[in-house]
Amino acid sequence: MTLASPPANRPDLLDPLEVSRLGGIEVTTAGLVEGFLSGLHRSRRRGFSVEFAEHRMYQSGDELRYVDWKLLGRNDRLYVKQFEEETNLRAMLVLDVSRSMGWTGAPDRLLPKHEYARRLAAALALVLLRQRDATGLLAFDEDVRATLPPKVSTAHWHRLLRMLAGLEAGRGTAAERALQRVVEQLRRRGLVIFISDLLLDRELVLRALKFLRHRGHQVLVLHVMDPGEVTLEGPAEARFEDPETAAAVILRPKDWAEVYRRTVEGVVSDWRLALRREGIRYHRLTTDLPFGLALREALVRPPGLA
Amino acid sequence: MIGFLHPLLLWALPLAALPLVLHLVARRQPPTVLFPAVRYLQQATREHQRRLKLEHWLLLAVRTLLVLAVILAAAGPTVAREGLPGHAPTALVVVLDNSASSAAVAGGTSRLALLRGAARDVLAKATPDDALWLLTADGAARRGEVSRLISLVDSLSPSAARLDLGAALTTAQGVLEGESRPSEIVLLSDLQASALGDAELRTPLVVVRPEGDPPSNAGIASLDPGPQPWSPDGGSVRLTLSGEAGRVAPVSVSLGGRAPRQGLGTVGETLTLSLTSVAPGWRPVTARLDPDEFRLDDEFRSVIRVAPAAGVTWDPADRYLDAAALTLRQNGRVVDGREVTLGRLGAGASVVQPPAEASALGALNRALERRGVSWRYGDPVGLLQVSDSGPLVGREQVQRRYRLESVGGAPRGVLATVASQPWIARSGDIVLLGSRMEPDWTALPLSAGFVPLVDAMVNRLARGEEAVIPASPGAPVILPDLPTEARLDDRRWSVEGGAPFRPPALGTYFLLAGADTVGAIAVNVDPRESELAPATDAAIRGLWPDARIVAPAAARAASFAAGARGDLRGPLLWAALLLGLIEVALASGRRRKRV
Repeated sequence: MTLASPPANRPDLLDPLEVSRLGGIEVTTAGLVEGFLSGLHRSRRRGFSVEFAEHRMYQSGDELRYVDWKLLGRNDRLYVKQFEEETNLRAMLVLDVSRSMGWTGAPDRLLPKHEYARRLAAALALVLLRQRDATGLLAFDEDVRATLPPKVSTAHWHRLLRMLAGLEAGRGTAAERALQRVVEQLRRRGLVIFISDLLLDRELVLRALKFLRHRGHQVLVLHVMDPGEVTLEGPAEARFEDPETAAAVILRPKDWAEVYRRTVEGVVSDWRLALRREGIRYHRLTTDLPFGLALREALVRPPGLA
Repeated sequence: MIGFLHPLLLWALPLAALPLVLHLVARRQPPTVLFPAVRYLQQATREHQRRLKLEHWLLLAVRTLLVLAVILAAAGPTVAREGLPGHAPTALVVVLDNSASSAAVAGGTSRLALLRGAARDVLAKATPDDALWLLTADGAARRGEVSRLISLVDSLSPSAARLDLGAALTTAQGVLEGESRPSEIVLLSDLQASALGDAELRTPLVVVRPEGDPPSNAGIASLDPGPQPWSPDGGSVRLTLSGEAGRVAPVSVSLGGRAPRQGLGTVGETLTLSLTSVAPGWRPVTARLDPDEFRLDDEFRSVIRVAPAAGVTWDPADRYLDAAALTLRQNGRVVDGREVTLGRLGAGASVVQPPAEASALGALNRALERRGVSWRYGDPVGLLQVSDSGPLVGREQVQRRYRLESVGGAPRGVLATVASQPWIARSGDIVLLGSRMEPDWTALPLSAGFVPLVDAMVNRLARGEEAVIPASPGAPVILPDLPTEARLDDRRWSVEGGAPFRPPALGTYFLLAGADTVGAIAVNVDPRESELAPATDAAIRGLWPDARIVAPAAARAASFAAGARGDLRGPLLWAALLLGLIEVALASGRRRKRV
């Protein structure tokens, strides 16, 4: 069974580059979220930190995962479960704006990773704020670049957008300090959404994320990758240089494409396993993925996951 | 030791560096691409770099070896594989010297029998993949299969012909030119020192020589009957012997079936024997030695033309010619007759001297032209000169003479010269003298040689000098102008005057023009064949430096040494094919990984 095809004019399902051409981040984000929420049939109470509220009749387009199969067995009717939102959730968006995030493998077809991540963060913030969740933002490269404490207000949304708009790709990456700052910002249990290309010190970041979990926060890691980082391409022979560290490797992409693909798969798998062990949700997103699908990946919690 | 059939192709060996050069050229500084996930690349390459680098160098090595193998295969390498059975396909020329000297018998066995046995051994070692030739004293290289060539060897008998070993080896080398197989020449010969000759060899040579000393030998090297025709009163012959120096042997000479004259000849000295009168005609003369271990040179044949004295007419007013003619008539060398006119142009054969009056010279030249004489009198020469010494005339003063000018074509028939210019010349049966035989023209009439000169002119030159041509079997001789047929006993050959003719066997060949005998060819064993002394190994190696000299018993083992050098082309081509497959596998494996 598949979901019904959404309307073609929904911006959340458009190519991210096309969406970015529609207007400023505020306009496009609002459109994205509207489209995204309409795709979810505007379930009255939806969100991350929600508890079951009631059933309603199944409508075409509803996700099968919310169908109450027990009820179907008893009544022979399709109902979907609806959830009541928590009102005291505090969410913190932690955004990587290091130099590596400023890269795109195809400038004419794809947004740079940080552009994609900014829009994704804005959309997430809007969704959370609409759910009356206090939402904050922390941007970092090799240091903390900007911080906006979690609040719930329309003005806060605009402040958050202005901050996002002013963020450009910076220098190196050092996430652990940013995550420590998050601990300071979220004194109560909350939600941390970590958006990064994860080209950073894995062990330090894992330790920091584990600490967040230890403090009782829910953590979601959105791993943003450019398709050019997934599939190795380039001239017959090239010197590949890291824009952050200036480390370089000379090789023939055709010789190494397969090995590289397997390595990337291994890296992603390692991240996924390591994070899952700590109860941290992990999603890999590529910058050619429409924002609506990315939001769905990020916001739709699998059943049974706390 | 590795050898090469086409060593010049080894100059292409540097091409083996081509893959490496291309590799180095391709190692230019590549463009820089900014790529944030370099850590993933580092991780990927860290794990596979060593294997890929190994594959890369392996591919380079395979390509280099592939080029190397192809070039080496083209150069045709061979390697010694002595001790191993069999041999690679070989092109082999067996030069079997069955020249006259091979008939010499030593130890009860003829040299040829020994050599034939060795040749059979060599040929029996051949395989169907070998290319074989047999070259004998007739100079022809015959190609054939083993059985045919062995049959030829078995049927081979001593030839009366001489075999120049240098020429034979050159012929063999020419036969092998262009052969891609390893080639070799096996020379089986008694190796007379006189038969050795230079040859430019590019092929391994095995020389098989009989062991032991050759038999002591004496042979008749020449039989010279002197000026012909003889008169019916007879004449004398001069004999020379060849062979072991200083050896003395009894000689008998028989002329026209008459009882032979005996004499005792010594090798290196001349023996003269007088023969009594015989009837006019062409008379075969044969000299014989007592039989020895080499029989072919114990007999020598020639021909003597016996003719009656010429009938001569002359003008008694020519004082000096008259005196000479009278002397000859007194001695029976001439008779009165009209066969030859002496001193002027007659109707038949003539000995012509220039007229005393210069005004008569034009009429004489016109008369000569009418007779088809190829000479005429030219301008007078009044210088005191000396005639050039020659077989007919010695050095004599010449005060006056007319130039003798050749009419049409190159001058032919010059008999004597003055200052290198023709002075006495012959055309057909006309002999022209450049000076009158008078003391105020030349001192010749006053010299002792004058009467013999007149004798030679009237009896030989004007009547036509009978040609007795010495020859060897198989060697070409140029025939005189007249003969249309050559005859040896009952065998006849149509011939063309002036063309070469190869008398096939020993004997006396008469040359006929219609029913008339106009000459003869005396075919005898080349006198050098009598010198059985063999060449030393040093002399052989001096001429053919790489020759391997073996005894007949070792001929089989020594032959096919070129083929015993294993041909490495096959293995190299297989190796190249294998390397090509490995290259394809490695390269396609790399391409698969790229996809």
